[in-house]
Amino acid sequence: MLGLLGTLNLASRSLQTQMTGVEVAGQNLANINTTGYTRQSVEIQTSPDISTTIGPEGTGANAVAIQQVVNAILNNQIQSQQSTSGYWSAQQTALQSAQTSLNEFLNGTGSATSSSTNSTTDTGLSGQLSSLFADFQSVATSPTSISARQQLISDAQTLAATFNQINTQLDTSRTTLNTSLGNDVDSANKLLSGIADLNKQISTADFNGATPNDLLDEREQDLENLSNLTNITTSTGTNGAVDVSIGGQSLVSGNQVLDTIQTYDAGGGQLLVQTATGGVNLTLTGGSMQGTIDARDGELATMQSSINTLASTLITQVNTIHSGGFNLTGTNGANFFNGSDAATITVNAALASNPSLFQASGSATANSDNSVARQLADLASTAQSGLNNQTFSDSYGQTVAALGDSLQTANDQVNNQTAVTNMLSTQRGSVSGVNVDEEMTNLMSFQRAYEASAQLVTTLNTMLGDVLAMKTS
Amino acid sequence: MRIGTNSYTDTMIDQFSVLKSQQDKLQNEVSTGLSISAPSDDPAAMETTLDDLSSQAAQQQFSSNISTVQSKANFIYSVLQSLQTISNRVGEIATSASSATNSQTNLNHYAGEVTSLIQQAVQLVNTKDPATGQYLFGGTNSGQQPFTVTTDANGNVTGVTYSGNSSVNQTEIASGSAVSVDVPGENTSGSGAQGLITDSRTGADLFNHLISLQNDLLAGNTTAVSGTDTANLQNDENNLTYQVAYNGNVQTRLNTASSFATSQSNSLTGLISNASSADLATTMTQLTQAQTAYQAALESSAAIMQLSILNFLQ
Repeated sequence: MLGLLGTLNLASRSLQTQMTGVEVAGQNLANINTTGYTRQSVEIQTSPDISTTIGPEGTGANAVAIQQVVNAILNNQIQSQQSTSGYWSAQQTALQSAQTSLNEFLNGTGSATSSSTNSTTDTGLSGQLSSLFADFQSVATSPTSISARQQLISDAQTLAATFNQINTQLDTSRTTLNTSLGNDVDSANKLLSGIADLNKQISTADFNGATPNDLLDEREQDLENLSNLTNITTSTGTNGAVDVSIGGQSLVSGNQVLDTIQTYDAGGGQLLVQTATGGVNLTLTGGSMQGTIDARDGELATMQSSINTLASTLITQVNTIHSGGFNLTGTNGANFFNGSDAATITVNAALASNPSLFQASGSATANSDNSVARQLADLASTAQSGLNNQTFSDSYGQTVAALGDSLQTANDQVNNQTAVTNMLSTQRGSVSGVNVDEEMTNLMSFQRAYEASAQLVTTLNTMLGDVLAMKTS
Repeated sequence: MRIGTNSYTDTMIDQFSVLKSQQDKLQNEVSTGLSISAPSDDPAAMETTLDDLSSQAAQQQFSSNISTVQSKANFIYSVLQSLQTISNRVGEIATSASSATNSQTNLNHYAGEVTSLIQQAVQLVNTKDPATGQYLFGGTNSGQQPFTVTTDANGNVTGVTYSGNSSVNQTEIASGSAVSVDVPGENTSGSGAQGLITDSRTGADLFNHLISLQNDLLAGNTTAVSGTDTANLQNDENNLTYQVAYNGNVQTRLNTASSFATSQSNSLTGLISNASSADLATTMTQLTQAQTAYQAALESSAAIMQLSILNFLQ
């Protein structure tokens, strides 16, 4: 039998137990907006009973643990999806910047209300190539017209400037992507070091028999952030520490950072990732780092090479024909374009300052002959062996479509990943997220229980008073 | 299913973002009239549209080429007509002067008229194209005056020399199809475009024949006038008739090509429109739907967010 004092002790422990419940509800409500917070619940167990002659008698309840309500499978899924999301987001960003560099957008000059009479124009190389060949035709039709020649030179200068600009922007994109890769590597190193520190604190707490819920949340958040940067492999040790490997190389083991990562130049400014001390080149499989590398060395590099091939073929073909022609003063041999690729293409400065030097004629003595101008105009519909037997505009159209395809895929993948991540987050929220209604209900429940226990103390106090009064009376 | 309070707000924010971007896209379609603007919107349609735009630019250039050469062909035609008038008058003179009853004074008058007609004809064939300022009948050497007259002390024409060439320019009027409206003043090469004044294949040599006529009239050689001169002038007349017919044929071809280029361009506009233009009815309906959905999401969210157990706790 507990007796009055034993029951008073029961009431006192009950007050503590209910207070813990109130505290946990308070902690949950306080962290409702904390990123990565996992809701906690208090585990209350009945205290061991004591045997009496009439049977076992309860001794109240104790709060035995404060636990995270967590689903490890969901956490693993989110971690792995993070690396896919990071990969496609990085691709999307890089390809969007490439699409902007190309500046090949359609402009509508009317509203949909008059769509049948809309005129559509484009702002990039495609329209400028068409203009160049149309200008060759104009000069062929009026070979001695200075205004036609001026228009030709002006349009050719615009085309050359656009080639230069695209090339510069793609170079800038490449540099930006390398910087972004470097930033990702720095972030990954910080996260690896953070995870090792947290491992240490978690192991210590684990050793002391404590459950470091908030530290676990923090580490889970770090692991997810790291997964967003690159695909990682993790394994949890018996002491609660998580070991991390990237590209098959173990980088965090327990509370030790075995190695960090760094970028290295694989040649031609092509930055890749390796371990800093071991110098092992890493083969990454996901995350924003690989997304950046793939976009840079894949679609962007292909596009830049296509644009360069287009420019160099145009320069060679136009110059070959042009240099054989004669200008209005009967001399020949000058090039139309200078330079050798998209970076260096310019219109011959002599022609730019004096359009009459454009060599449209096939004869030194026939100023208004147009045979060379016609040959130049015919280039528009001539399949070029250097462009996979396509015409200039077809080849460029294919480059544009290829970029569009890649970006469309990246956009779709990002949308899909957003949907998947949202779904998993909602699922995790349903397990681990804080719900105000629920916490408030729990709070009321613990509050009422606390009130009841307090009432028990009051009752026992009265009873003890009664007992003491028996002696004095 | 249990729902975390923040999962609800996160989902709501995502839904707003999706609905807002749908609206932006549709609004952009309505204002530009285009269903695609960037390559990533629809890569295949973009490639087709760029291809069509390039073809359309080419067709528009063909139209411009046609218009330029049409105007040149008209100038050439007006010169040909004037030359024909001169040729007719010369024929009349030759016929009138053939009669042996003509006095030498009469023949001298005729000779004077022929001299004057030669000068007129030379002036005509030295006409410049008003559009370009280039000589019309110098072949592809059109920068210098093609015909030069030399006269003797009495003002009689002794020779007309040609300093142009016998080449002509071709102008592309459709893909892979070119025409020439040009007529060289002289072609003695036996190939290429037929010369306007002199051509070795037809025996035409208008100025030399007119000079012979002038000289025969001055010499009172009516036999030559009625014989050789009349026969030669007939060749020149035939050559001019050929040139007028050729000019007519070219103009007909240009008209046909012009209609073709215009219809091609219109048909390409249709194709471009099909590939890239927004359909107003559909787009506006979708925009209204998106707006309604956005409004509904905002209203329902605002209403639901007001609700919590806190409203009912005393």
